[in-house]
Amino acid sequence: MTTSAVTPVRPHTAVKAFYFNTSAHLLRVTPQKATTLVEFLGALRECPEGSIFQHTFRTLQEHHFIREGFSNDFAEWASSACNEPSLAEALASVDVREFTSVAELRERFVQIVGEFVNRNPTVQSRQARETFYFCASDIVVIPTQYVARTLREFAEGLRHVSVHSIQHHFIEARLRIKLMSNDFSQWLLEDLGLPEAARQLNRIDIYTVTLDDVKNQIIRIVERALV
Amino acid sequence: MEPVESQTRTETAPDFSPSAGTAFTAAPATPGRVERRKRPRTWETPPAPVPPPHLDDYKKIVGEAEIDELRFLARELKGKTLKMVNSTAVGGGVAEMLNQLVPLLNEVEVVTHWDVITGGNDFFEVTKGFHNALQGSDYRLTQQARDIFLMNNEQNRQRLQFNEEFIVIHDPQPAPLIQARTNSPQHWVWRCHIDLSNPNPEVWGFLRPFIEKYDAAIFSSQSFARQLPIPQYLFYPCIDPLSEKNKELDDAFVQQVCDELGIDRSRPIVTQVSRFDRAKDPVGVIQAFKEARKYVDSQLVMAGGGATDDPEGAAVLREVREAAGDDPDVIILDLPPWCALQINALQRASTIIVQKSVKEGFGLTVTEALWKGKPTIGGAVGGIPNQIIHKLTGVLVHSVEGCAYQMRYLLTHPEFAKQLGENGRAHVKENFLMTTNVRRWLLLLRILNGRK
Repeated sequence: MTTSAVTPVRPHTAVKAFYFNTSAHLLRVTPQKATTLVEFLGALRECPEGSIFQHTFRTLQEHHFIREGFSNDFAEWASSACNEPSLAEALASVDVREFTSVAELRERFVQIVGEFVNRNPTVQSRQARETFYFCASDIVVIPTQYVARTLREFAEGLRHVSVHSIQHHFIEARLRIKLMSNDFSQWLLEDLGLPEAARQLNRIDIYTVTLDDVKNQIIRIVERALV
Repeated sequence: MEPVESQTRTETAPDFSPSAGTAFTAAPATPGRVERRKRPRTWETPPAPVPPPHLDDYKKIVGEAEIDELRFLARELKGKTLKMVNSTAVGGGVAEMLNQLVPLLNEVEVVTHWDVITGGNDFFEVTKGFHNALQGSDYRLTQQARDIFLMNNEQNRQRLQFNEEFIVIHDPQPAPLIQARTNSPQHWVWRCHIDLSNPNPEVWGFLRPFIEKYDAAIFSSQSFARQLPIPQYLFYPCIDPLSEKNKELDDAFVQQVCDELGIDRSRPIVTQVSRFDRAKDPVGVIQAFKEARKYVDSQLVMAGGGATDDPEGAAVLREVREAAGDDPDVIILDLPPWCALQINALQRASTIIVQKSVKEGFGLTVTEALWKGKPTIGGAVGGIPNQIIHKLTGVLVHSVEGCAYQMRYLLTHPEFAKQLGENGRAHVKENFLMTTNVRRWLLLLRILNGRK
């Protein structure tokens, strides 16, 4: 977490209110599955975008309590079922926040697996210990009762919403807004004129802490901006 | 027909009774055997049923925000009607789950009814055969079996009303009830609780045309799903954190149970809770324990059931006793099905918990262990890898030797074991609790409702 100071401002009313939403996802099984890395590569190319989203963005939430060693389902499978630590490392290093579209994210995974398979022809048809089943999510966005027009109300809303709401606004938002940012930072920047707080939120490392920790860090940054 | 789950079953009278029921065979009156000490008399009769919980009861466990989200999710479904249909009112995982789920759905104003199909012994013999065949056993599908199956379903179709907006049919026994579908805009869902990963092709071929008429199917694991022309959703089984099996217990009660069973809490305790079934590899667990104990002083508790009313279970129990020999540190408990509180206490007293299955459904005993924050060793089969992410929420093993090593490692690395336990509990909280189940049902209803 960053420790640089946030310029104190007096709380004022935003032009547009911030409506806290949350999202719920239902897992759907797709026809794609893989028992070798070659099959895996083929399925990565063919699966619906919802599968790439599920096994990267969504899985972060499903395992949000793990501080280290879990990044996405693809890396986990490469490690535990294929026993390919170097491939697993490469897949785990993909940071979903660097992508504003699932298509770009898919390309990155295809590139990593494709290069690995080409460099290691002996692994191409080796059977994995477990089959990888590609799933996808059906998503329902749900409003919550929390609405913020001031920074104080924003902090209060953050304290009350669940980590699902944090995932929705802070992590998955970039796919909606097509920016390397998130709903919270955008609101702080555009509606409250708080660029430093917005920047600090964007620097929170979501891969080395739990989503509860992320939520607490966001609250602390917002509270400091309130001073 | 037996339920899907492989956990040690608790059989209590339902708190939210369905409108029709099949005959309930009471749990055996003969008390189970305890190897070390005589079980107190209070264990010999089932406890009184516990009233069903309310959503607010879960706030202290999952937080207010989670419960608020369920209520928001349900708003759009207020007044919608739903019918659940299964084959048994009492006993087993499905009935146990419906007993909890139906009142919770009604609480959020999804008007939910629960019906149970009826049938003669011949029908349930056929459906038991189907159940085993769909899970991979050899089976010859005769015309007589088809006739009995279809005739009983037709009788149920005529007896039951299907006026609700959503109809959910649980498991293969009532699957042909889809033929009651009319032109009214209903949504029909087939909820399959059993492992269909390797079904008998004849039986599956017979049932498949019925399944394809549903709007959606639900499976308990990715690997159980089939290639079907309808959407297939994944609902992991869940546990109820407020149930006798999983609720928080006073340490004094845990101590009392251990004292009564001759378990020494001053020494590490390794426990496997499972019915005596070769699929749970109880003999392998004893072999692994004996290897591990060469290096770490500890006790093994093998707590199970099913040996009193199941000839195969009795045979496995004999094998387990033979494997244990006269080892005073191997404690074998054959418990009756209503000992949920005692099982809970045993799990809480344990240092580590093992579920070294070689074949498994979902493995709710693993869920129970993880929920209690226990470092857990699981066989890498069935639904266990969904729960145990190796070295993050527990450890997966593939052999007796691997199990022995992990027992030694976890018993000698308490900090790592503690972290696994904490992660495992959080994993269950996020993905495998009753509240998550309610969320999945509400989501499915909203998604289906949106399709119109």
